[in-house]
Amino acid sequence: MIDNSPLANDPSPFPDLRQVRFARGFVTVLMSTLVLLLVCLMVAPSSVSAGALSGSLPFAAIIAIVGLGQMLVVQQGGFDLSLPGSVSLAVVIATHLPSGNDAQLLPAIGLAVVCAIVAGIANGFLVGVMRLNAIIATIGMNALLYGAVFAVSGGVPRITTPLMSAIAGGKVAGIPNSILFAVALMLLVSFVLKKTVVGRRFEAIGANPAAAHAAGLRVRLHQTMAYVYAQLLYCVAGILISGITREPTAFQGDSLLLPSVAVVVLAGTSLLGGRGYPISTVIAAFFLNQLSQFALAVGVPFSAQTIIQALALVFGIGVYSVRWRRSARTRSN
Amino acid sequence: MSKATPMKVALAAFTLTTALSATGALAETPSWCGPNEASLALLDGFGGNSWRLVTTASGAEEAAKCPSITQYEYADGQGNTQKAISDINSMAARGIKALVVFGDAGPAVLPALTNAHRSGAIVVPYRVDVGGKEGENYAKFIGSSFVEDGKSWGNWIKETLPEGGNILFLSGPAGNSQGLDELKGMKEVLDDKYVFVNPEPFAVTNWDPALTQQVLSAEIAKNDKIDVIVSDFGPSLVGALPVFKEYGRSIPALATSDGNSLACFWEENKDANPDFKLFTVATGNDNVRLAVQWAVALATGGTPPADEIFKAPVYENSVTGTPNPVTCRKDLPGAIYLSAELADDAQAKAVGQ
Repeated sequence: MIDNSPLANDPSPFPDLRQVRFARGFVTVLMSTLVLLLVCLMVAPSSVSAGALSGSLPFAAIIAIVGLGQMLVVQQGGFDLSLPGSVSLAVVIATHLPSGNDAQLLPAIGLAVVCAIVAGIANGFLVGVMRLNAIIATIGMNALLYGAVFAVSGGVPRITTPLMSAIAGGKVAGIPNSILFAVALMLLVSFVLKKTVVGRRFEAIGANPAAAHAAGLRVRLHQTMAYVYAQLLYCVAGILISGITREPTAFQGDSLLLPSVAVVVLAGTSLLGGRGYPISTVIAAFFLNQLSQFALAVGVPFSAQTIIQALALVFGIGVYSVRWRRSARTRSN
Repeated sequence: MSKATPMKVALAAFTLTTALSATGALAETPSWCGPNEASLALLDGFGGNSWRLVTTASGAEEAAKCPSITQYEYADGQGNTQKAISDINSMAARGIKALVVFGDAGPAVLPALTNAHRSGAIVVPYRVDVGGKEGENYAKFIGSSFVEDGKSWGNWIKETLPEGGNILFLSGPAGNSQGLDELKGMKEVLDDKYVFVNPEPFAVTNWDPALTQQVLSAEIAKNDKIDVIVSDFGPSLVGALPVFKEYGRSIPALATSDGNSLACFWEENKDANPDFKLFTVATGNDNVRLAVQWAVALATGGTPPADEIFKAPVYENSVTGTPNPVTCRKDLPGAIYLSAELADDAQAKAVGQ
C-alpha cells in the first residue's frame, strides 16, 4: 500500500530494488527504445545515421517539450487540447512580429510568453476554478488561440529571423541546440516535480485531490497552474519550431497534439492523474520520432504515420492497464 | 472673367478625362465581357494561405476588368466543408448570377453546386475536380493541367541529366490527384534510365515545411545518390534543403513550382552548391482568371475564352535563363509568386506585408 502512494517514494539518489519496481514505465519505454534502435540498425541502418539523426532529433525535441507540458496537465487528471493553437500562436508571433529583423526578436518572444501565460490562466480558471470539463474548455481556448493566429498572420507564413534560426537550428559540439533545450527543460521539470515542495504537492494533488484538499493543500491553485506551466512549455516549443523550420506555416501545432498525448501515456503517466515521469516522457518522444523515421526508411508511406502513433498510444494504454490489473490481483491474493 | 476661366478649364479637363476614360474602357473591355449586367461571387474552400490570398486578389482584379459586373462578392469556407456548402447555397439564394468556386472538398460540394446550377446561376468550379458533368451539375469546369507540369519537369530533367539519374518526387497528402497527374506527365517523357527513389507514387509531405524537412532528411539518409528533386510546392522546400549540408552533399537539381522565397534561397545557396540548378513552372494563381473569364462570358453574354484548361507556363530556368532567369526580389515578401499576373506590390498588399 505504502509503495503506491506517490509521497512515499523517497527520492534517494541510490536506486534500490523497490525503485526499480516502481519505474516500470521507465523500464518499458527504455527497453522499447533500445529494441527499436536495434531493429533500426539491422533493418534500416540509414535511419540511425548521423545525418538522419541530426535531421530528425530537433523534431523529437519539440515532441518532448510539448509532451512535458501535456504531462503536467494529465497529472492533474486533465487534458490540454489547446496545444495546437498555442504552439501555432508562438510560431507566428516569433516569425511575423520581427519579420526577419533580429532586433525585434526579443520583444516578440516576450509577447509570446505573455500570451502563453494569459491562455494558461484562462484555461486554468475555466478548468481548475469553474470546474468545466477540461476537454471542452481547452477546445474552446484552442479556437480562440487560432483566432489570434489568424489576427497576427492572416494564415500566411513568414521567413524566420537569422538569429532565431541560429539559436534553434544551430549546434553546440555537434548536438542540435533544440536537443539541449529539451534536456534542460526535462531536468528543470524533473527537479521541480521531484525535489521541491511545490512539485511534491503538485503530484500529491494529482494523485488524490480530495485527500490533498483534506490535508490543506491549495488544490485549485495547483490545478490552475498546471495549465500555465503547460502553455509556457508549448510556447517554448513554438518558438523553437520558428527557428528549426525556415518558413513555418501558421498551423505548425496541428500535428503535435496526438504525439503529445502518446508520449505521456507511453511514459506511464496515468490519464487519471498522479505521478509524472518527465525523463520517460522525453525518451518516449525519441521513441515515437525514431519509429516514424524507421517507417520512412523502410518505405512505409507517410500517411501511415498517424496510425503508427495511434498504435503506440494504444500500446501505452494497454501496457498500463495490464500492469494495473495484475498488481490488483497480486494484492487480493 | 477671372472667375469664368478656371471654370472653363475645369470643364474642358473634365470632358477630356471622361472622353479618355471612356475610350480607355472601350479599348480595355475584353471580348469575354458581354453587354448584360450580372453579379459574380468567388467562393473559396479555404482562404488562409499566401497562395490563396494572391489567387483571390487575382480573381477580383480579373472580374473588375468587366464593367458589366455590377456586384462582386467573396466568401471563404475556412477549410470547413459545411461552411463552404452553406456559402454556395447562400450566394445562390441571394440571386448572384455567376459563381466561381474553388471546391476544396471535392465531390462533397457537388450537390450544392448542382442546386445553384438548377436555380439558374452560372456555376464554374475550377482547379479541384468536384465530379459531376458539365451542363448537368455546373456550367463549366476549368481544370489545371498537372500532367503538363509533369511533362515540363520531365523535359528539363532530360536536358539536365541526359545520361539518366535518380529522381526524388515529393508531393502533398497521400493519393492527391495533382501528384498522381504530375507523375503521369513525367513518366510520359522519362524512360527507364530515370529511377524514382521515393516510395510509389510520391513521398508524402502534406505540403508542410516541417514534415518536408523530416521526409527529406530520411530520404537523403536512405539514398546516397539523388540527382534531381521534383516537388509541386517549391517554397515548402526552402526549410528542408539545408539538410543536404548535414551530409556534406550539394543540393541537387530542383524541378518545382515558383515562389519568391525559393528564388531568393537559390540566389543565396547556388555558389556553395555546384549541382543546385533550378527549374520552375508557374504556380498557377492565374487559373482563377480563366475561370472568372468563363463565368463572366456565360453570365454577361460575352465570347468565352478559347482555353478550357489552365496550362501553367514554364517560368524560371537557371541553366538557360529562358523563359526567365531565376528572379529573387528581396524587397518583396517571400510568400508571393512572381509568376502570377497580379502586380508585385498588389501581391505584397494581398498577403498583408
